[in-house]
Amino acid sequence: MLYDINLKITYGYEVPVGGGRHLVRVLPASIPGRQRLIAGSVTFQPAPGERSESVDFFANATTSILFRSVHEHLVIRMQARVQAEATALIADFSPPLAGLPSQLASCWSIDAESPHHFIGPSPLLPEAPDIAAYAREIAAENMTVRQIGVAICERIHHDFAYDAEATTVTTTPAEAFRLKRGVCQDFTHVMIVALRSLGIPAGYVSGFLRTLPPPGKERLEGADAMHAWVRFWCGTTGSWMELDPTNNIPAGTDHIVVGHGRDYGDVAPVIGVLKSYGSHTTEQAVDVIPVE
Amino acid sequence: MAKKQAAEATDKGRLDGDPAFGYRALRGVADEMLDPQGNVRPVWQRLLAALGQMDETELANRFARADRYLRDAGVFYRAYGKDSTERSWPLSHIPVLIDETEWAAVSEGLIQRAELLERVVADIYGENRLVRECLLPPALVASNPQFLRPLVGVEPAGGHFLHFCTFEIGRGPDGNWWVLSDRTEAPSGAGFALENRVATTRAFSNLYAETHVHRLASFFGAFRDTLQAQKLHPDDRIAVLSPGIANETYFEHAYIARYLGFMLLEGEDLTVVGGRVMVRTVAGLKPIGVLWRRLDASFADPLELDQSSHIGTPGLVEALRAGSVSIVNAIGSGILETRAFLAFMPTLCRHLIGEEQKLPSIATWWCGQEPERQHVASNIEGMVIGPAYSTRPFFDDNGQSVLGASLRDTAKTSVAEWLATDGGKLVGQEVVTLSTTPAWVRGRLTPRPMSLRVFAARTRDGWQIMPGGFARIGSGDDVAAIAMQAGGTAADVWIVSDKPVERTTLLPAEESFTRNLPGSLPSRAADNLFWLGRYIERAEGALRILRAWHGRFAEAADPNMPLLKDVSSYLGALDISTRQPVPDSLLANIDSALFSAGNIRDRFSPDGWLALNDLSKTARKFHATVQAGDDATHAMTILLRKLAGFAGLVHENMYRFTGWRFLSIGRYLERGLHMTRLLGHMSGPEAPDGAYDMLLEIGDSVMTHRRRYNVNTAALTVTDLLALDPLNPRSVLFQLNEIKTEVELLPNAFVNGQMSPFYRETMRLHSGLAVMTPEAMSATVYKRLEQDLERLSDLLAQTYLG
Repeated sequence: MLYDINLKITYGYEVPVGGGRHLVRVLPASIPGRQRLIAGSVTFQPAPGERSESVDFFANATTSILFRSVHEHLVIRMQARVQAEATALIADFSPPLAGLPSQLASCWSIDAESPHHFIGPSPLLPEAPDIAAYAREIAAENMTVRQIGVAICERIHHDFAYDAEATTVTTTPAEAFRLKRGVCQDFTHVMIVALRSLGIPAGYVSGFLRTLPPPGKERLEGADAMHAWVRFWCGTTGSWMELDPTNNIPAGTDHIVVGHGRDYGDVAPVIGVLKSYGSHTTEQAVDVIPVE
Repeated sequence: MAKKQAAEATDKGRLDGDPAFGYRALRGVADEMLDPQGNVRPVWQRLLAALGQMDETELANRFARADRYLRDAGVFYRAYGKDSTERSWPLSHIPVLIDETEWAAVSEGLIQRAELLERVVADIYGENRLVRECLLPPALVASNPQFLRPLVGVEPAGGHFLHFCTFEIGRGPDGNWWVLSDRTEAPSGAGFALENRVATTRAFSNLYAETHVHRLASFFGAFRDTLQAQKLHPDDRIAVLSPGIANETYFEHAYIARYLGFMLLEGEDLTVVGGRVMVRTVAGLKPIGVLWRRLDASFADPLELDQSSHIGTPGLVEALRAGSVSIVNAIGSGILETRAFLAFMPTLCRHLIGEEQKLPSIATWWCGQEPERQHVASNIEGMVIGPAYSTRPFFDDNGQSVLGASLRDTAKTSVAEWLATDGGKLVGQEVVTLSTTPAWVRGRLTPRPMSLRVFAARTRDGWQIMPGGFARIGSGDDVAAIAMQAGGTAADVWIVSDKPVERTTLLPAEESFTRNLPGSLPSRAADNLFWLGRYIERAEGALRILRAWHGRFAEAADPNMPLLKDVSSYLGALDISTRQPVPDSLLANIDSALFSAGNIRDRFSPDGWLALNDLSKTARKFHATVQAGDDATHAMTILLRKLAGFAGLVHENMYRFTGWRFLSIGRYLERGLHMTRLLGHMSGPEAPDGAYDMLLEIGDSVMTHRRRYNVNTAALTVTDLLALDPLNPRSVLFQLNEIKTEVELLPNAFVNGQMSPFYRETMRLHSGLAVMTPEAMSATVYKRLEQDLERLSDLLAQTYLG
């Protein structure tokens, strides 16, 4: 599938801000066998005083910008053409849960793809006993790791209501779990905490979802802004798998990856530190247009 | 009282035959002063003999001398908890004496350890061979909150991660030393060690001179040279980066910065421009080459590290990536403090150094691996169980660690289960006991458990260990290391030679004399100095008005007398109530001055600090006790005198450089405002009876008025003297004149040959007032002048303090 993706993020500042520094992670990644970034650009308005590009620990493309002069708004635009490759869902080679620790122990690595980064609590995802109990109840003895992931994804989708008003960007997974509502970020965080509580390494994927469904299919939730879903480790035999708990589907060619991380904090599209005295508004607009 | 002393003398007399004066080591525990046979170790003999010569009174005097020094030098630490107030430093007056030969062996072991730590951290943020070669479990890195991913692959600008480490060591019953913990993140205590030394030598000056004690200064000198050598450009500045005044060891940050001649900065002083770290100074942005970091790494950059940090510098990590600044120790080094790492040190030492550890750490097992878990479970009685990822030593982690023996009552199986489920998060550590050292407790030498904090610095010639350090002395006689919680005392450590030692000081030698110009003043420091000046003057203004008010109230005893009523309403508008003899707002004002001064502790003489503290304490006391009228008049006089004492100390002792100018401008500006406002309110034709005399009294100009004008007080003469007389140090014109003089000498008074907006405005106000006549001064003129002065303050802030 070939896509043209347009993203526009607009910040409006109530009181003009005197300067600031931002990290921006919005450019789709190139991942062998998954997707390829053919062309892409990130632009800013007003033009920043300084700009530099780098790749972070989890291999996410990061743009760092610095403003020195006073500005009233900030517009971030990303345009990209991405080839998403269809991957047939292969058979389940993941071990039963009891077999995962020994496979994990055999991974003597701390590079970005190592499951060890995704097993413990992370800055935004502390342990949550309620979610752990929920996960224990779903995971049956004879299930494989992948089956457990699929079952938890299904249950969250079933038990939770999509509700853009119920939560904010800083809502904790424990709180979202109590409410049983939220947006893709909340669904994803709850599922990650559930998987980790069982000892299954799980991480956060940020990205885009095609905005117009293929003919005859329903429009998916989360297509009007940047999306998030879960990536979890199915052992050395089963590798990584991506599931979208907001829509209860495996992430396929409709899901375009921007970044990988332990939680939202690692892949937040914009992190900024501003000299500011007022509040600000944010708007996001996304278009994911199939070219073929 | 006399009887008690006599009894003690007899007691002492009885022990005269005993070289240790009745001091006995505890059974089964090593002692620093006595060898295993109970004989006094040779290095202690001189001290002990000297102690034997001193009677109670002399000892008490000597100890008091040390305590007085610490108090006068303003040595304090801040205890977190219920009240995070400043506490005076708890010195145990008897130093710990260690033979230099033994110390050489300890040093050798710690140098090996520092080198090992450097290689481990370089591998974790670099090649990752230790994990790949199965020497370090990946979980201990990847699940470790101290593993800072943005720093992976970033090579430190100076080539090394570690430049300054401390080690907590203790001596076991067999006499050998053990490492209890490694501190690599932001190790503290070196400044306190220096102050312990000075204080202890105050108590035992003659003895210190006779005993060949190794000096500490050369250690600091060598480290200072290391930091100097890290600079990439000659113009770069070196600074100590502190989390700020709320930190428990802020005193030390200020102390070290002053001692080594570095700037003391906080995160908000810094900004990153073009990949370089710059400090905001009153003369503009200046490059920083080296930061000695006393701030926890995760707080250092809110953009790439802990996003909730309010004390960091956005972009700092980017500057590190650009290799433009050297941060000591490197951000990320804190991972080495992880308790579970202790379990792997012996193997890592063999692998990375090719040697056995010369100074072992206490035996530690990480329960994330099956055989280790088994070992801990079956030896639970002799273990301390604690969090694997904790960076605090087990004896200092707020009770997070438990003695295995205390789990005896719970079923053994549940311990095994606990270890099986949560093993990865737990370590078992062998229960260790510490040695004892003599402390002076209730009039006699008493054995108390102790551990040593030892300091290691990287120098041009490799790692150097400070010959000394500080000893933590336990408050009770429980020698289990886990009992060493907060609440103990600290003692100096003397490394004793049998021959005279080299004496060094950080003062430059005669031939290398240079006069260093003080560095640029950070804007935040200037801001604090400016406001300190304003608060001090504001307090003085309030005190003067209140004194005049209460003096008249004492005579009239009627607060409704027109003049008193009028002044009350004037003060009321300034939030100063005459209903309270010492108003709340006055206290708040003095506290604000104290807070501003506290933020710039490194620029202040301890005398000035003490004077300001004394003022605050006295004002508080008066607040609770003083009555309106005469009593209050008297109290205000005392407070004014104390305030003048502080001002005098500053005036007499503060170096006349940029900082002093900001303080002065703050005072002049506030004094000008005070007088302008007061004249605007009280010098008009409708002023109540007695207003002019009161104005003169507040303006401290009664005598001058009498001498200069052969008439009774009148609006015009009062206006002339208090507003327009350029020779009266209380007049408004005088203040503007002084401000003008200071402003001319500030950096950037001229930009491209033109006056800066601030300078121009100062000139405009000054000349505008200088050409006025008393007749032309009206309430409207005063009002405009007041607004102009406020705007001048804003302009100063824009020009220099942003």
